[in-house]
Amino acid sequence: MTFLNVSLLGGMALIAVPILLHLLLRRRPRRVEFPAIQFVRQRQLPQKRRLRIRHWLLLALRVAVIGLLSLAMARPSVIFSGDWALTEEPVAAALIFDTSVRMEYRHENRTRLEAAKELALWLLAELPQQSDIAVLSSRSGPVAFEVDRASARQRIGRLESSADSLPLPTVISRALELLQQNEKRIREIYIFTDLARVAWPTSALAQLASQLQNSVGLSVYLVDVGVPEPKDFALSGLQLPRQILSSRGTLVVQTQLEGIGIGGPCTVQLELLEVDPSTGRRSWQKREEKLCQVQAGQAQQVVFRLRGLSAGLHQGQVRIVGGDALPANDVRYFTFEVKTPWQLLLVAPDSSHLVPGFVSEALAPREYRLTGQARYDCRLIRQEELSGVDLSQYAAVILLDPKPLEELLWQKLAGYVADGHGLAICLGRNAQPMDSFLTPAAQSLLPGPLQMQVRRPDFDTYLAPSDRQHPILAEFRRLAGTVPWDDFPVLCYWQLGELAKGVNVIVSYSDGRPALLERPVGKGRVLTLTTPLTDDTNQEPWNLLPVGDAWPYLILVNELAAYLVGAAEHQLNYTVGQTVVLKLPFSGGRRSYVVTAPDGTTFTAQTEGPSNQLLLSPPTLPGNYRVQAGGSPDSGFSINLGPEQTRLERLRPEELNQLLEANNVRLARNRQEINRHVSLGRVGQELFPLLIALVACLWGAELLVANRFYKD
Amino acid sequence: MSLVAKYLKPEVVRQIRRLDLRAKFIVRGFFQGLHRSPFHGFSVEFSEHRKYTPGDDPKDIDWIVYAKTDKYYVKKFEAETNITGYLTLDLSRSMGYTYRQEVTKWDYAVSLAAALCYLMIQQQDPVGLFTFDEKVRASLRPKSKRTQLGDVLAILARSQPTGRTDVAACLTQIAGMLRHASLVMVFSDLLGQPEPILQALYRLRHRGHDVIVFHILDEAEVRFPFDGLVELEEPETGQLVEVDASDFRHAYLEELQQFQNTFRRECAQAKIDYVPLDTSMPFDRALSEYLINRSQRS
Repeated sequence: MTFLNVSLLGGMALIAVPILLHLLLRRRPRRVEFPAIQFVRQRQLPQKRRLRIRHWLLLALRVAVIGLLSLAMARPSVIFSGDWALTEEPVAAALIFDTSVRMEYRHENRTRLEAAKELALWLLAELPQQSDIAVLSSRSGPVAFEVDRASARQRIGRLESSADSLPLPTVISRALELLQQNEKRIREIYIFTDLARVAWPTSALAQLASQLQNSVGLSVYLVDVGVPEPKDFALSGLQLPRQILSSRGTLVVQTQLEGIGIGGPCTVQLELLEVDPSTGRRSWQKREEKLCQVQAGQAQQVVFRLRGLSAGLHQGQVRIVGGDALPANDVRYFTFEVKTPWQLLLVAPDSSHLVPGFVSEALAPREYRLTGQARYDCRLIRQEELSGVDLSQYAAVILLDPKPLEELLWQKLAGYVADGHGLAICLGRNAQPMDSFLTPAAQSLLPGPLQMQVRRPDFDTYLAPSDRQHPILAEFRRLAGTVPWDDFPVLCYWQLGELAKGVNVIVSYSDGRPALLERPVGKGRVLTLTTPLTDDTNQEPWNLLPVGDAWPYLILVNELAAYLVGAAEHQLNYTVGQTVVLKLPFSGGRRSYVVTAPDGTTFTAQTEGPSNQLLLSPPTLPGNYRVQAGGSPDSGFSINLGPEQTRLERLRPEELNQLLEANNVRLARNRQEINRHVSLGRVGQELFPLLIALVACLWGAELLVANRFYKD
Repeated sequence: MSLVAKYLKPEVVRQIRRLDLRAKFIVRGFFQGLHRSPFHGFSVEFSEHRKYTPGDDPKDIDWIVYAKTDKYYVKKFEAETNITGYLTLDLSRSMGYTYRQEVTKWDYAVSLAAALCYLMIQQQDPVGLFTFDEKVRASLRPKSKRTQLGDVLAILARSQPTGRTDVAACLTQIAGMLRHASLVMVFSDLLGQPEPILQALYRLRHRGHDVIVFHILDEAEVRFPFDGLVELEEPETGQLVEVDASDFRHAYLEELQQFQNTFRRECAQAKIDYVPLDTSMPFDRALSEYLINRSQRS
């Protein structure tokens, strides 16, 4: 407890007055002549005791009134944050700034970060002399007290918003650690925040409140610089179903336009970075524009489709035309690569086998072939012809229900795969005798030895992909469990023995045995399906995958082919915080590349390992990056903000209350509130009103008792 | 309130300074209130004649005897010779107490005694007087002459309630002084230990006297009208007692009730009339008590 006017506690001495009056100058009761006193004496003794008690009660009330009045005048207060302290005692203060891109929200011609800086600079001047001050932002970095106030001021001035911001609870924990090392008795944390929900994960609120409350001598001030009802159009995300497509394909760019607290017409534009032939410079060229009518609080999907793209790497952006309060969520970047159609070699067991046509039709439908939209050029050959084919001109080879192959042919295929190509082996009824598939050359490609044919005539076995994380299953991942696999039963499949090292099961049957397996070989990969894709349904079929409304079959075949040619898993678009892994077309050891960031800055990076991958630590600046090396075609990638990074939705009152439950956490919105709360935190809660109320009550009681005693 | 009831109120009677007038006033007011013959209910049966003497009421002259004998004779009634009354008044200082500064217990007792004296003399009953405090201070032999009223009233007018009292001892002394069975009317506040007083009353009764005890208390002593913290002072001893009157009233009244009940019970057993009075009560109650006793005697 502290006192604003300690000297007034001397008023306590006045307590002696009622005591002296009581003992020496006690008011005599009214004297009345009364002859019948004998009737009084009989009952007087018990009442005399009561009277004495009342006298002492009266004295106690009077003493308490004077004592409490004196105490109230001394303006006592209770410190919530621990030990007693004085207003001007130096403090250890940590000023935490939310520097996420949301703080770029402009309101009343100031960004939230600018408003926070202004308040912080004022606060800096108000902090007591000799205080230790640390300035922390939500970017990761070293945490330390500033040398002096001037350096703290400079540090605040240099603060900028950043896409790679940490959650505020993490920053607060770091500030707590720093403050705990300080010897100052008063420790304060000022958090300049827009109180957005994403900055305060609800899962961490309760723990944070408890952590703050348990910190002795700590006061936490949430300085709310946010806007209660933000108004903004936002592109909440961007999806590219294909990041690598053939020159015959269509680029599909999807995004969601959201109206946050605002509705109405909004123009969204797709632009591509294209080289100006006259100047040789890259510049934005508008390719498509859409006028959208969006309602407040709702999202609308915007889809752009581009065709006729030239081969090569392309970079672009989708942006909202015209400015609004938060520019950071008005633009989304993307990179994609256009390649010439992939050459696929489909190998059928014999010429009489008509069913392989299923696969080529699934990969390159006739209609697409006629209109020039087919992604693949498929060539179907007989197995006997395989030995005479130059495989290097094909991006991938698919063996459809192969018969036993000669040892040389297995070796040829192994060399082909090791060079970085893809091979798919769809085992079926022709894989007999088994021994021919157990040769070392065959086993160097197959995931394991063939053991036996498993028959499932009860229509109770089907493909059952459990983990959909593999690139082949990306499309099924989007369909999220709605694929009716049980409508396409598998009646027979090959059971494999012990799987070779490095084999990955991509899809299993519903009985748990492997259906689709991947085996990396050299730079390439081999996919093995233990049931055929091309079985004749008229002759005791091994499965009914291509029967009926077989859209899962179509997707599976296409994704399988895309994976084999390397179009499925190639990622060119990342969000802030993700490590960039670029698979570059060059080979032959370590090589340096120049990476040009969206702001024009460049840095060099080197490929790692034999796979010729370029690994980049998570870039923080959203935009399109170019990766170049002398004499090589350009590569590149795009970095976007995560959709949640620009969500302006604020903490709900109950969530905020959860945070404020800790009695040393206070919320302030302006200088006056900061002043009041800081004063409360340092000086404590004034007890004056409480004491005065108590004095009034006691005074009333004293009057009541006194009147009863000395009634005339 | 009727005129009669008004006359019987002590505060009205107090305004009449002369005691003889006061007595007459009280008695006349009482009888008017009864609306009956003044002698109704009394034994007034003829017993004998006696010679007329100056001072006798001429209307009592028996004119038939005068016609026969040519001498004046007056009628004499049976009951007139049987009651000798003694007015016994307490002179203690406590009797001089009044809370409202209007009628003291002594005033009340004197007024009542004078009225009874007047009434008895009107009926030609001999009336005597005792006043006492710690001992008998004044005594007057009983006479039925009209001059007796003046003598009684003169003594009462001279007397003032002062000093301590010993009711029991004085009543015992008075009992020894009375030779014939009489009606002893005691006017006292009876403040003191009840047992000795009761013993003295028993003694009077044992000697064949009829006893009426007029227990006169002040209005304040009956109602205890105080509030808040008060210091009570006993006027005879100067003893002080501090009490919270508001809380104490109930206990006090209980204690008083108990005291009066003791007297009421003990007196009833001894066939003593106990008449509790307070200075706010009209005199008719006291007079009624006397007359009822008189009628029983006759």
